[in-house]
Amino acid sequence: MPRIQPRGDAVTATALQAIPANAEDCAELLVRASRERRTVRIAGGSTKSYLGDARETDIELGTMAIAGIVDHVPADLTITVRGGSPLADVASALAVAGQFLPLDPPHGERATVGGVIAANANGFWRARYGGVRDLLIGTRTALADGSVVRSGGRVVKNVAGYDLNKLLVGSLGTLGVIVEATFKVLPLPAARDGRLGRFENAADAFAAADAILRAPARAESIAIARRDGAWILLVEARGDAPAVGRCVADAEREVRSRGGSTDAFAGGLRDLRELPERATDGALVRLALPLAAQARLAETAVSLDTFRELAADAASGIQRMHLVGEDDRVVADADALLLAARAVGGSGRVERRAQRLRARLATWSARPHGEVLMRRVKDAFDPAGILEPGRSVLAP
Amino acid sequence: MRALQELLGASKVLGTRDELLVYEYDGAVDTATPDAVALPESTADVALLAKYCHEHDVPIVPRGAGTGLSGGAIPVEGGVVVSFARMARILEIDVPNMRAVVQPGVINLHLENATAPYGLHFVPDPSSQKACTLGGNVAENSGGPHTLAYGVTTNHVTGLEIVLSDGSVVRLGGKAIETEGYDLVGAFVGSEGTLGLVTEATVKLTPLPEEKRTLMAAFATMDDASETVSAIIGAGIVPSAIEMMDQLATQAVEASVHAGYPLDAGGILLVEVDGARDGLDESRARIEAICREHGARTIRVAASALERERLWAGRKGAFAAMGRLSPDYYVQDGVIPRTRLPEILRLVKEAGERHGVRIANVFHAGDGNIHPLIMFDLRNGPEELDRAKEASIDILTACIEAGGSLTGEHGVGMEKNCYMPLQFAPADLAAMRRVKESFDPAGLMNPGKIFPTPSRCREFSLAATR
Repeated sequence: MPRIQPRGDAVTATALQAIPANAEDCAELLVRASRERRTVRIAGGSTKSYLGDARETDIELGTMAIAGIVDHVPADLTITVRGGSPLADVASALAVAGQFLPLDPPHGERATVGGVIAANANGFWRARYGGVRDLLIGTRTALADGSVVRSGGRVVKNVAGYDLNKLLVGSLGTLGVIVEATFKVLPLPAARDGRLGRFENAADAFAAADAILRAPARAESIAIARRDGAWILLVEARGDAPAVGRCVADAEREVRSRGGSTDAFAGGLRDLRELPERATDGALVRLALPLAAQARLAETAVSLDTFRELAADAASGIQRMHLVGEDDRVVADADALLLAARAVGGSGRVERRAQRLRARLATWSARPHGEVLMRRVKDAFDPAGILEPGRSVLAP
Repeated sequence: MRALQELLGASKVLGTRDELLVYEYDGAVDTATPDAVALPESTADVALLAKYCHEHDVPIVPRGAGTGLSGGAIPVEGGVVVSFARMARILEIDVPNMRAVVQPGVINLHLENATAPYGLHFVPDPSSQKACTLGGNVAENSGGPHTLAYGVTTNHVTGLEIVLSDGSVVRLGGKAIETEGYDLVGAFVGSEGTLGLVTEATVKLTPLPEEKRTLMAAFATMDDASETVSAIIGAGIVPSAIEMMDQLATQAVEASVHAGYPLDAGGILLVEVDGARDGLDESRARIEAICREHGARTIRVAASALERERLWAGRKGAFAAMGRLSPDYYVQDGVIPRTRLPEILRLVKEAGERHGVRIANVFHAGDGNIHPLIMFDLRNGPEELDRAKEASIDILTACIEAGGSLTGEHGVGMEKNCYMPLQFAPADLAAMRRVKESFDPAGLMNPGKIFPTPSRCREFSLAATR
């Protein structure tokens, strides 16, 4: 039986903390909580607890003890790890074999594997290598009924049964606790290089990004930021030296042909990636857009009085906009951006906002397609509704 | 049938004995006759039909081109087969957003041809791509030779319009890479028609590679060929495709396609690298060197697009060429971690010997996705099929024991649903059933597929417990 201890930490609204030692303990804790109707919050590295409209829970379930590498066969290009493992530990284990898990989510230094999956936390590498949903090939999950269920497996191609892994990616802990995950991994690239482009206007920056995305030598990251009144394009490539050279040469040409100036790549992606980490004030809006709508939305964001920062993955259509200012303005501007995203066929959320804004600015301002089905799935997996109440887009 | 004709119009319903016979089959070995066949022309037709079936408790079985290899389109519990032959339009090729919006009956190759002028393609390219439909690809989460580097169907679908068994129309996802809430598109792809009917799909289009290098290497033994596969991956090269073929398959292919594979080779590898032209020759040279180190006797590099097509024609025509060796064959689709290839291929051989059936192998070696083609001749009586099935159970059991899966791309269907308990514990299957019940509480969508059914699987469960 897992330990459940009163928690001394006065900051948290959670009364009890439980740290199950393994998957079975975790499942047992969940079934007990279900029976007693006690609500549960799941904590890995606690790096993304700002997500959603989470309410107070009776129990905080820490996954830190369910950690470690289960299996890694380098020649199979797969790795199986426990859900509470820090992503950084996985990276170190893989590096020894000259491999890497091509995920670069925010908070990567402290985030756990389970948290990255549950939050569908991706970075700028997504268009190049695939996102969490594409790299995750197997899971074991502790469910609210006390069972531990497996989906997928350790092979890179698998269509036996439904792909429950996909449901877990982005589920924000509302369906179960991810206790084990298997990912596809890749050999570490041999070479790396990059270019920085500077543009006067958004249209040119995003047009250059689009051309680079379609170019034969694929870039690893194509990011756009706004700095000192200019649009900054950051392109980085990793791979075999000849392809990296070609990618950078093509990128340089695409930037110049659109009137941009180029510069050596001096990092900066990390800073953009970690925007959620520092966006503790105001509101951080995160949008998922059709590729061709990106320039317009970015321009709109930058024109707002409350605009502070932009971090765009121009290869995937993901944009984060940090808005800071008077509360009324921040709320109105965040709503306006979400509305604009929907108008072009995208969607979005307020990913993070200042504590005082939580009551005024909900994470989601629209219902998703397929909400009825989502609700049925949630009820089927967590009939007592104990897991992460309020965390997901589903109406309570 | 009359009621359906009144509902949809006489031209959209088939029901005579002769008409129904055509829909008894798909690409696998099982057959069953539908009670009626509907040929909807719009989402509204599909919704009407589903609503009718829901009210009258009639099973619905979707069908694309009928090329499936696990009996997915077979109405094993009767009901209406819904053919999407008349919903076959490409609705939009959205070049700026790199998406295509298609109806379910669009043929995979037609989409490829339509997008090529824009320098884009839909990546999954199953061997049946000349005939198979996008709706079927979505249902089966189809793969193909090039999935090693580029992923399978689920990695290339961002939006769906589906009709549920109660007739409601639901849109999921869209053109953006993700939407808020659960990834129901991801849950739906590969659900084999058991969750709903696809009436529209939004798929990713990917830039065509600038260039490709394709090489064929012939080895004395399958062991040499499979060790080469691990060595290529181990060297940090991720080719876009690594395909393997044994001697029996090679001989059949050569007799029908003349791809130029050496007849005396014990194992053949077809390896392709693609992308920017820069560095491709270096990759090709490294692969060639690895092949030689592992005893390749002959290596041929395609010098032109025509030669490449010829090499690929051998691979893609391999299943069809089996007719040269045997009137009937049964193809399996197990997956194993690729490092276990040599061992599993030996087990396949032993299974064939044990059950007295000839087995040819043509498969996606890079993914560890084997395709043993188990030959039999029904003219010699039904026991030949039984022996083929027994051999396949042995092979699938070995795949699962090696940490693999029953199926990599063909689906479970009605062919392997009884074997699902080999791979999944009751709790795992129960979790899948929760998804099934969320989408299709009435249980009318393609019944008798994926999940073991008590009536048809009793025999297998008994055999397994003996």
